[in-house]
Amino acid sequence: MPRVKASPVDRLLPLSLPIFHMLLELTEGERHGYALKRSILSRTQGKLNLGSGALYGSINRMLEEGLIEESGERPDPHLDDERRRYYRITTLGRRAIQAEAVRLRDLVRLAESRVQLPEPA
Amino acid sequence: MPDLPKLYSWLLKLYPAGFREEYQAAMDRQFRDEYREARGRAGRLRLLLNAGWDLITTAPAETARELTQDLKYCIRLYRGRSASAAFAVAALGLAIGASTGVFSVLNALLLRSLPFSDPAQLVELWKSPVGAGNGRAAFTAWQARNPYLRSAAAFSASEMNLTGQRDAMRVKVAETSANFFELLGTKASGGRTFTPDEDLPGHTGVAVISHSLWQQWFGGVPGVTGASLVLNGAPVTVIGVAPPRFDYPGNTGIWIPSVFDFEMTPKRGAFLFQTIGRLKPGIYIDQARRLFDAEVRRSDPRSVSAGEPNRARMVSLRNQLAGSVREASWILAGMVLFVLLTACANVAQLLLSRTMERRQELEIRAALGASPARLAQQLITEATALTAAGAAIGLIVAHWAAVVATSVAPPQLAAQAYTVLDWRVLGFSAGLALSIAVVFGGMPAWLVGGLHPSGQITRTRRMRAGLVALQAALTLTLLTSAVAMGRTFLRLLDTDLGLRPANVVTLSASLQGTRYRSGAAQWQYYSEALNRLRAVPGVEAAGAVSHLPLANDVYMANAVKLDSGQTVPQIVMNAATPDYFRALGTALLAGRDFGLGELRHAEPAVIVNEAFAQTAGLGTAIVGRRITAPWSDRKYLIVGVVATTRLAGPTHAGAPQIYWPVEEEPPPALTLVARVHGQADKFLAACEHALRAVDSEVAVYDVKTLDQRLADVLARPRFYTTATLFLAALAVLLAAIGTYGAAAYSVARRKREMGLRMALGASYLRIRHMIVRDSLAPIGVGMAAGIASAVASGRYLESLVVDAHPVDRWTCTAGAGLLLLAGLAAAWSATTRVLTIDPADALRVQ
Repeated sequence: MPRVKASPVDRLLPLSLPIFHMLLELTEGERHGYALKRSILSRTQGKLNLGSGALYGSINRMLEEGLIEESGERPDPHLDDERRRYYRITTLGRRAIQAEAVRLRDLVRLAESRVQLPEPA
Repeated sequence: MPDLPKLYSWLLKLYPAGFREEYQAAMDRQFRDEYREARGRAGRLRLLLNAGWDLITTAPAETARELTQDLKYCIRLYRGRSASAAFAVAALGLAIGASTGVFSVLNALLLRSLPFSDPAQLVELWKSPVGAGNGRAAFTAWQARNPYLRSAAAFSASEMNLTGQRDAMRVKVAETSANFFELLGTKASGGRTFTPDEDLPGHTGVAVISHSLWQQWFGGVPGVTGASLVLNGAPVTVIGVAPPRFDYPGNTGIWIPSVFDFEMTPKRGAFLFQTIGRLKPGIYIDQARRLFDAEVRRSDPRSVSAGEPNRARMVSLRNQLAGSVREASWILAGMVLFVLLTACANVAQLLLSRTMERRQELEIRAALGASPARLAQQLITEATALTAAGAAIGLIVAHWAAVVATSVAPPQLAAQAYTVLDWRVLGFSAGLALSIAVVFGGMPAWLVGGLHPSGQITRTRRMRAGLVALQAALTLTLLTSAVAMGRTFLRLLDTDLGLRPANVVTLSASLQGTRYRSGAAQWQYYSEALNRLRAVPGVEAAGAVSHLPLANDVYMANAVKLDSGQTVPQIVMNAATPDYFRALGTALLAGRDFGLGELRHAEPAVIVNEAFAQTAGLGTAIVGRRITAPWSDRKYLIVGVVATTRLAGPTHAGAPQIYWPVEEEPPPALTLVARVHGQADKFLAACEHALRAVDSEVAVYDVKTLDQRLADVLARPRFYTTATLFLAALAVLLAAIGTYGAAAYSVARRKREMGLRMALGASYLRIRHMIVRDSLAPIGVGMAAGIASAVASGRYLESLVVDAHPVDRWTCTAGAGLLLLAGLAAAWSATTRVLTIDPADALRVQ
């Protein structure tokens, strides 16, 4: 039986929830760590509150896997003039988030065909 | 509220160095931002709790990730250097293994609990002021008013004949007071132990048997209580089985509560009463000892001042049981520590040269922003990986070391299996490995701390030279000790024992509890036994004696009066038959041997040994003189002088002895000695069979060749000598490898300089000489220190080992010469690489 070789993107799936959120956030543009945390917090209505360790641990992993890259240091115009490290999503990161979304969509479709889902509020 | 941002910043140290380096600043800043934004005390508290939870959940994962990375890197790095890494690991493994093995023995001897409850409170009294010999009432009264002992038990151990359903056998029996088991805190594993009144004379016909006797005699079948045994002819009923491992005092098979019952078992001959006690709560052994000494001084002032071995004293039971093995184990522990340090020096060399080779890489990483902490973490991880591998090998080695150690364990502790899988032993091994990793991983890390290339090279060179010197000093100390021990052992082998051990079969027979009660009946049995033995084909001569040399017996010594009025003290009394001396190979120096019908002579005869004759100051002229026996007022004629035999083996001087003819007063047990044509071990079965054929009721035991007995006596010194020589050889090998490594590294590092010298006309030989000379210099320095430490350790050795050969000038010279030769060979072979240097290439090296 021929073995199906996993593509580099498939190898990364499924993405963890914090990573998925962070990548989603980065599709909007470059962000620094704290900004990522805040926007995820507000988008999830306070449900996903990433601690610093979890936040930078995930960033570290994404950097290692090539999902994001550093875009250099510069001051945050919204906060103060302290210099912060900014990150941007890579092509691999975009493909990963796409693949994860497709995976989730397929999963949702499967669930819909089996069980009755309530209408979204 | 305390300064939370500062506290958080401090807690971030829990993350690994690499992670901290990247994100600490951002995390700090973020916490400060959130802290500013937090509302009220509750908000800040929630922030702190969240941060704490985050830390607990993510720091271990990040640490594991980084360690995995470091390890992978480490494996890649050492794959190309597998030979030297494997060697360092193997050496470390051997050293850790040897230390762990020795520790497991020390652990069993000194640290782990004995099969008694609260053993630290147990003491043994040598020459108790009141003992079992004073009778039950006196002993109980003494115990009741004793100010330092909560309770005391008396016992006396001897070998007895066990008969009954099976072939008679010889077993060690402890006659005890009824509270013996209660005092030790030992409960029967089946049945019961003694009740308080069972040591009253007339009530003592009960016995507790050991677990191993239960297995051996009853085949381990349950329901053994109520079974009867016959001990020296007296019937006893089994009431219980002792727990496995319990055989105190040493190898006891049966305990009977008859220590005060002088009718129950005939107590004749060398009968020693012993007393053990449990200290009162809150009394320490030192206090108890002072009270004991004071008591002894009041009751029997002489016994305190008596010569060392017979002095009255109180010892802790644990020390008493560990005995001489304790000292020897400490020596071994010291030696193993030296080997361990030598092995560590090699690992340090390896790590140092690896660090220097990677200097460029480390410098680049530092330049790219890697913090010293990050680099140090990497280096310590490497060292930990190396030592962990070493420790794993070490546990295997330790297992074997413990197996070997068990074979030389003192009999009292033979039941205490030495085990490596004990939390103390494992903890020791892990602790050892970890401290080695921190110290020797930390050393190169410290070097990296100040990455100033030029200063670092000098520092490294000094450090390497220091390591080689350290190895040389340690190795020389070990070598001289090993040589001294080896010479001591050779001298033991060479000692004239006063007998010829080859081609001799020995076997013992005991008539206790048999139908041979009168002296005449016993003599008849012995004569018949000797005749049967002489009839075995191949037996050249046969005789018998009550105390055979090398038999590990207990002897009674008496003072004997000579007809001149002179008293010769400390004489060992022994009974012998005609032909005993010929069978043993002991030379008759003057006079005659005993003959048959010795009782027909008008005057009873004795034979003395040379040591007696010399102590009396008469030499062989003592033949024809008379002595007065210590046991009666009869006069005995000295008819012969024989060579002195060393009763306790080559480590003990031969005692003055008097032999009386067995025929005159046959002892209850004798050891028969047969000199045979050919290998003695082939005659063991035939001789035993011949003896059993005389009467199957008589216990025949200890059937051994004399060579075996000698080997048994020498087993322990042989083991220690072999271990010492092995450790010293290992140390020399490690030191040679250390020197090789240092020299090879020096060749690699100075390639350019050598190329230049060659270009300027220096020959290969000259350059090799230069490197060898530089490599040997630290060895010389180390040896100077080593000689001082060798002399000191030699003194220590002499204080611990009886008759130890001193560490003298000869020993030091030999050790130093050997070490220098090893160093020279190592350095010379390391410089073969010089031959491959092409000056033109070398000059291009940066």
